[in-house]
Amino acid sequence: MHFFFLVTVLVYLAASIFQALYLTIGERSETPTLRPRIALIAYWATCLGFGLLTLFIILWWSRQGHFPMTHWTDSTAFFAWANTLVYLIVVRLTQLRAIGSFVIPTAFVAILISYSFSGNEATLPENLKTYWLVPHVTLILLAYAAFITAFGFGVLYLMAEKKIRQKAHTLFHNLLPALGASDELGHRCTILGVILLTIGVIVGALWTQYIQEITWRWLDAKVFLTVVTWVIYVVQIGIRQLWGWRGRKAAYSEIVGFVAVLCTYIGVNLFLDSTHTFR
Amino acid sequence: MNQIVSIGTSHHVAPVEFREKLAFSDEQLIESLHHLRESYRVHEAVILSTCNRVEVYAVADSQQTSEAPIKVIMDFVSRYHKIGVDTLKKWSYRHHNLGTIQHLFRVTSSLDSMVVGESQILSQVKEAFDISRSAGGAGTILNRLFPKAFSVGKRIRSETTIATGAVSISYAAVELAKKIFNALEDKTVAIIGAGEMSELTAKHLVANGVSKVIVANRTYERAVKIAEKFKGIPVAYEDDLNFLIDADIVISSTDAPHYLIERQPLAEIMKKRKHRYMFLIDIAVPRDIEPDVSKINHAFLYNIDDLEAVVASNLKDRQQEATHAEQIVTEEARRFHDQIQILEVNPTIKALHQQFKEIAETELQACVDKSELTNTQEAAVASMTQAIVKKLLHHPVTNLRHSVNDGNTDHAQYVHAIQELFALNEIDEKDQE
Repeated sequence: MHFFFLVTVLVYLAASIFQALYLTIGERSETPTLRPRIALIAYWATCLGFGLLTLFIILWWSRQGHFPMTHWTDSTAFFAWANTLVYLIVVRLTQLRAIGSFVIPTAFVAILISYSFSGNEATLPENLKTYWLVPHVTLILLAYAAFITAFGFGVLYLMAEKKIRQKAHTLFHNLLPALGASDELGHRCTILGVILLTIGVIVGALWTQYIQEITWRWLDAKVFLTVVTWVIYVVQIGIRQLWGWRGRKAAYSEIVGFVAVLCTYIGVNLFLDSTHTFR
Repeated sequence: MNQIVSIGTSHHVAPVEFREKLAFSDEQLIESLHHLRESYRVHEAVILSTCNRVEVYAVADSQQTSEAPIKVIMDFVSRYHKIGVDTLKKWSYRHHNLGTIQHLFRVTSSLDSMVVGESQILSQVKEAFDISRSAGGAGTILNRLFPKAFSVGKRIRSETTIATGAVSISYAAVELAKKIFNALEDKTVAIIGAGEMSELTAKHLVANGVSKVIVANRTYERAVKIAEKFKGIPVAYEDDLNFLIDADIVISSTDAPHYLIERQPLAEIMKKRKHRYMFLIDIAVPRDIEPDVSKINHAFLYNIDDLEAVVASNLKDRQQEATHAEQIVTEEARRFHDQIQILEVNPTIKALHQQFKEIAETELQACVDKSELTNTQEAAVASMTQAIVKKLLHHPVTNLRHSVNDGNTDHAQYVHAIQELFALNEIDEKDQE
């Protein structure tokens, strides 16, 4: 199991390296024939990593006997899985592979965290052994993955815009998506993330309220930060619809949203106490 | 021995005054192909005649020097177009075997073209080859050579970047627009003022999907006149630039002495169009658009120098990439040359085998008829005979094949010698038919 996980981590490392190379190597015009090969390796390494990770999560689940979502290992592994899933869907639909340069390294970092925590297994409190946890956690982590993809498109937008403004002649070599494409896809990923997050939070709230009969704790750090994140994204979508805040402003707010997601997901567990803290 | 030769002239070596004298019309092509075969003993020929080049590719039989078939083709061209052989020699290039193959591969790969990476030449060569084929001009060798040349041309275009990057201002503008908008399908272009360049750019944009054209001019009449060409919407402007609210791409080329589009008014317009991207192309000198416009969010301004810089850098890239393409051409030409030469020695090898086999069979039969052998003995003698034949032929055949790939040995001489020594000529000729 441990060895199997290590292999998955290494495949993700390779995939990340090739994904990053893919975006940077296009800058140099003397390597045009290398580019499609790198793109292919990056893509298939990602697919392989995804397959291995899926298998690992299933094995882990059956070994623990309950839905694996309360421990660092479980959560970050699933987060990496969700990231890869969103990447694969985006590539299938749009052919814009450049996004992998952000999403796959993020997935790699997540899976590395997962690996480093994988030694100590925690026991699950009785009240968390419920199927309500499955949609709650799954939806929210998928939402995070969508937000990180939106962040990737935001950065791609800023990179491409800089090149167009500088009139850089490398503009045509690199594989940055067109401004319109990055902007639109960043927006769509944001909307998707907000929808997933909203449903995920509602499921969590209903569960605590009606099944657990615990009062909703507004002051729970994770709940509070999630609401902040949600507001950031909803405001961004609203302003875009009303005043046409697209392009650079949208890209910046996608980056701000990404920071909020990081605070909510990782920060809370490291620095604050919450019922959501991983053990 | 078959020789593949070519003679030709192109923009690299001759001025148009000479090239036009050598040009062949379509009827002349067919006539010439027949003429070459009947009166000049040329087995196969393809004639390529475009505005930048005229080339004759031919396969002729010659046991003598490589110069002989070239001379035959030179004679033909000089008589057909009534040009002195010396003049022809001065303004043309001649290639032989490997040189011909390599040259044709360079031509179809557009490495020999005026603009490296252009695509037209490939279809021009295809057309020339089709004409020759329908006139019965192409045979065993050219029917292999030309299809190979097309696939090399395609390989080079897909494996290298010699055919990427716009090399004209109007295409550079289209490529830039694609980098900004991604899809041009529902976009609107506005042309301000008149001019060949702006109309050409608008035409390319429309060909790439732009759906609406606005034509703006000082006077409504002129706007209507230009708009007719694009089925565009004519607009007359005074100081009112409101038509820009709908414009995603703006091409300006008026002869106005002052800025037509300034930062402040455009910023207002951008607000009205909800900050959708605007790509402004200023090809007027003096400029029509205030440079500060590029500071407005979502407005991207390129002037004529910027576009020219894009074109220059793309041309440089193509040139750089051409070195890589040349390597592929050389490699492919050598491989094809070897294949063709193997074809040249194959009939001889076959004839040699045939002859040995026939002798062995005759002698074996005679031996069997004379002596009373048991079945086992007969089988033993038969297999021994086969083994002797095989072993006797092993070295000559191997060395003959080897002579093809080995640059130091002239396999033509070997073939010739073997044919003479073993009196293979009759069989060989039968075989070729």
